[in-house]
Amino acid sequence: MPAMLKAENIHHRVATSEGPLTLLNNISLQLARGESLAITGASGSGKSTLLGLLAGLDKPSDGRIWLAGEEITAMDEEQRAAVRARCVGFVFQTFQLLPGLTALENVMLPSELRGERGADKRAAEFLSRVGLEHRLHHYPRQLSGGEQQRVAIARAFCSISNTGSEHSDGILFADEPTGSLDAGNGEKIIDLLFNLNAESGTTLVLVTHEQRLAGRCQAHLRMVAGEITAADSASSADVLSSGNPGATA
Amino acid sequence: MTRFTMLPLRLLARDWRGGELALVATALVLAVACVTAIAHFSDRLNRAMHIQSQTFLAAERVISSSRPVNATWLDEARKQGLQQAQTVQFASMLSTGDQFQFASVKAASEGYPLVGHLEMRPNSADSSRVVHGGPPSGEVWLEPRLLPLLGLAIGDRVQLGDSHLKVTGLLDYEPDSSNNLFSMGARVLMNAADLNAANIIQPGSRVRYRYLFAGDDAALDAYFKWLKPRLTDHQRVIDLREGQPRVASALDRAERFLFLAGSLAVLLASVAVGLAARRYSLRHTSYVAVMKSLGAGRGKVLRIYLGQLAALTLLATLAGLAIGTLVQAQAVAMMADFFPVDPPPSHWQPLLVGAVTGFACALGFALPPLFRLARTDPMQTLRRDWSNPDRREWLGLILGPTSMLALIWWLSGSLAITLALCTGMALLVGGSALVNQLLVRGRLSALGGSWRIAIGSLQRRAAFNTLLIAAFGTGLLAMLALVFARTALIDEWRMQLPEKAPNHFLVNVAPGDVESLHQLLADNGVTSTEFYPMVRGRLVAINGTPAKERKKQDGALRRELNLSWTDTLPADNKILEGAWWDKVDRGVSVEVELAARLNLKLGDLLRFSIGGLEVEAPITSLRSLDWNSMRPNFYMIFAPGALEDFPATYITSFYLPPEQKLLINDLVRAYPSVTVIELDRIIARIRDTIDQVSLAIESVMVLMLIAGVLVLIAGVRASIAERLQEAAIIRTLGGRRRLLLQSLLLEFGLLGVAAGLLAAAGAEATLLVLAQRVFDLPFNLHPMLWILGPLCGALLVGIAGTLACRSSVSQPPLKVLRELA
Repeated sequence: MPAMLKAENIHHRVATSEGPLTLLNNISLQLARGESLAITGASGSGKSTLLGLLAGLDKPSDGRIWLAGEEITAMDEEQRAAVRARCVGFVFQTFQLLPGLTALENVMLPSELRGERGADKRAAEFLSRVGLEHRLHHYPRQLSGGEQQRVAIARAFCSISNTGSEHSDGILFADEPTGSLDAGNGEKIIDLLFNLNAESGTTLVLVTHEQRLAGRCQAHLRMVAGEITAADSASSADVLSSGNPGATA
Repeated sequence: MTRFTMLPLRLLARDWRGGELALVATALVLAVACVTAIAHFSDRLNRAMHIQSQTFLAAERVISSSRPVNATWLDEARKQGLQQAQTVQFASMLSTGDQFQFASVKAASEGYPLVGHLEMRPNSADSSRVVHGGPPSGEVWLEPRLLPLLGLAIGDRVQLGDSHLKVTGLLDYEPDSSNNLFSMGARVLMNAADLNAANIIQPGSRVRYRYLFAGDDAALDAYFKWLKPRLTDHQRVIDLREGQPRVASALDRAERFLFLAGSLAVLLASVAVGLAARRYSLRHTSYVAVMKSLGAGRGKVLRIYLGQLAALTLLATLAGLAIGTLVQAQAVAMMADFFPVDPPPSHWQPLLVGAVTGFACALGFALPPLFRLARTDPMQTLRRDWSNPDRREWLGLILGPTSMLALIWWLSGSLAITLALCTGMALLVGGSALVNQLLVRGRLSALGGSWRIAIGSLQRRAAFNTLLIAAFGTGLLAMLALVFARTALIDEWRMQLPEKAPNHFLVNVAPGDVESLHQLLADNGVTSTEFYPMVRGRLVAINGTPAKERKKQDGALRRELNLSWTDTLPADNKILEGAWWDKVDRGVSVEVELAARLNLKLGDLLRFSIGGLEVEAPITSLRSLDWNSMRPNFYMIFAPGALEDFPATYITSFYLPPEQKLLINDLVRAYPSVTVIELDRIIARIRDTIDQVSLAIESVMVLMLIAGVLVLIAGVRASIAERLQEAAIIRTLGGRRRLLLQSLLLEFGLLGVAAGLLAAAGAEATLLVLAQRVFDLPFNLHPMLWILGPLCGALLVGIAGTLACRSSVSQPPLKVLRELA
């Protein structure tokens, strides 16, 4: 199966007042269409930075990344934005809903940014799929944390659902999706996320602290100080390339 | 229309409740409304004032001549399409058989007055009515006090030269009565068609011919350009500036004040828009990061926010134009009674001025934060860091101030006003960083408790506080500069025409009558100025050189001057060089401006010809005096004794309240040789004009104070969220409400004091430039500025800041933290 996401020798450094700081060191991985990958690690280990680079939010200092077959590291910000608009969905720890927009409008936002017609119908359909058909016109502040995250999930799937094909070219990036929720709500959100992922055939990259959640993914990488130190399943070994010296299968 | 096209508008509608957009819009609406109202008002006021001021001439321009002008001149004016009228003014005796009275007669042609109106009464019992032409041929209108003096009643005939004219009205007001201030006696208006029959003007008679013109500005300019080389020494052209310099100067200054106010409105609105837009862009950093992570590129984000800004600016500008137009219409309606003429409707230019103001403020100050917003890093969604660091933004640093200064220059049309505001602002901005450093590095936190929290908060936001102090300072500077400029202007006007300024002059008082006349006035409760002796003499030589041979000629060398003497320096006179008679015992004291015109200096020997005899005196002092004091003033004052051998008459002036007007008749009857010069009506007119200009200035000032307060609110709101969060955390940790309130009050109060001090320095510098370059007023230091600046700053900023943050102490901290999250 062709790689949906591929990274080669990623290094990322930032300038600080105390000199350059290495956030990621020589990371390589690849993920096939429809697969799911969990990245775990302690705070500051670089997992969210890696997620952002894989999603094309920024460019690494060194290395190359392919997303849906396109090399996003060779693109400028506008071109990367176009790739994100086409095939990337995000679920954030703190939901990141726009407080001035209703649930429906938040879900419509990606389609509106692409200038598509019929965004409202599709958004309503996704909200219905996450069980919020009765909350379409509520503002984020009127929703509970769990409901807000469901809206965010609906937005993420709506944003990558434009292809209309059975096997989506979409890839969903989730950054600690249960981090702001209690255990009960977290469980429901995870079920929803994985069910929708399975239904849509999307590829999933998940950053989490929770081992139990990571365990539901097909592959699981652990990070320490900007490096991948372990891959916790058989398929995880396939995810890794030889460039990760500390990785163990 | 695609969904994307509508997105900026939908976001605009949704974001309205966030507050910053409302503040940007309010600042824009207020700026546009202020500038539009000021431009409309200034335009209409200016044109109304111009029309009114022309009534002081009864025309738009006048040729004044001591003899009739060439008929071709009048033909040329006709060709240019100008309206014309003529008056002939002279002094003559009126009689009714056994009663005689000297009077100042004006014979007016058809069409007089070309501008303004006359006020007359057909009968003593009637109230005054406005008419637009003089009496018909064969009739005459008299000043009311002439009736009892001549024993006349309406309908009687009065003899003037060879004619017997029927008295058909009482003359209450002529627009141009001020143009012949020193005309003799009570006023009479007749028809010019009766002049020949009266046979009253003989060769050698002292007559003043006035040719009045009105019409299109271009035609007037063309005509007077054609006329200029043809004028002789006997003729001069009078326009408003020459005809009524006091009113012209008041109007000039008022207009400059309005332009200053307009410029300050722009300055304040710019700062308010800049602060609100900055806050808006900070709040939207998270929005943009999310939109970017969802695939919106920089161009798309920019299009969304530029679309919002364009829609907001358009709506705010339209609202501002409507409000500005309504406000000025309402202001003009409210002040209708004060206008002697109906202000003409406004032109369309004020609307253009308002619209340009709105878009320039928005582009100059709101655009740079939006450009910065569009550069938001989408990685911030993952870092959950919504700071939008204030990187050095050349666009913001250049675009904002440049557009503001260009707009101020364009609005005011005055480089001096632009320079004045630049000077004040440069001081303010330069000082902000310095004062801020002093504030945060001082040892105030050693005072403990709320001081420690307040200073800690100031230290954490040191960079932003520099901007905040500059913004608060700008608001305070604008308010202080405007209040003090207004006070200086209105005080100056009031000083020029105090409530009980002398409004009557008595001349030709015989020496023997001085004592009894003084007594008569005193008996009637009227206080006169000193009685000054006066001898008419011509300055014929300076240091032995005949005056006629001097290269530099002056009107003072071509006519007789009023020479006086006194041992006491008159009130309002000031010796600038040399010494008064208590130090020297002979010589002459010369008015300093005349001395400058004639190149005279101390020690120069002046020779005067008085009634064929000559007197020589060295200049022993140079004196300044106040020509507006309405007291007798003299170019030349001799030492007592120097002129006592010459026959002199005396002059004095006094204030006579309207209800005592008939005292003039008693006075004229008792002292027939005395000439009374009545200035009461013209002073009342000038005062009315200046009062209405003052009212206009005060109305504009109130608008500006509102704009100033808006800047303070924008400044407070710009920094409120972080302060609310910190206060909520301190409360969560057990901090008491009182401690928090005190620290908030201290923090904003200290910012206010710093801004107030800088605003005082900036306002002082601005007022210095304004006084010298714009208003032509003497500059005085303003100690009150240095007290009011920090005081108003501390109170306004302290109270506004504390009120804005009160929710942090009045609501449960958890609620505050949740709302901010």
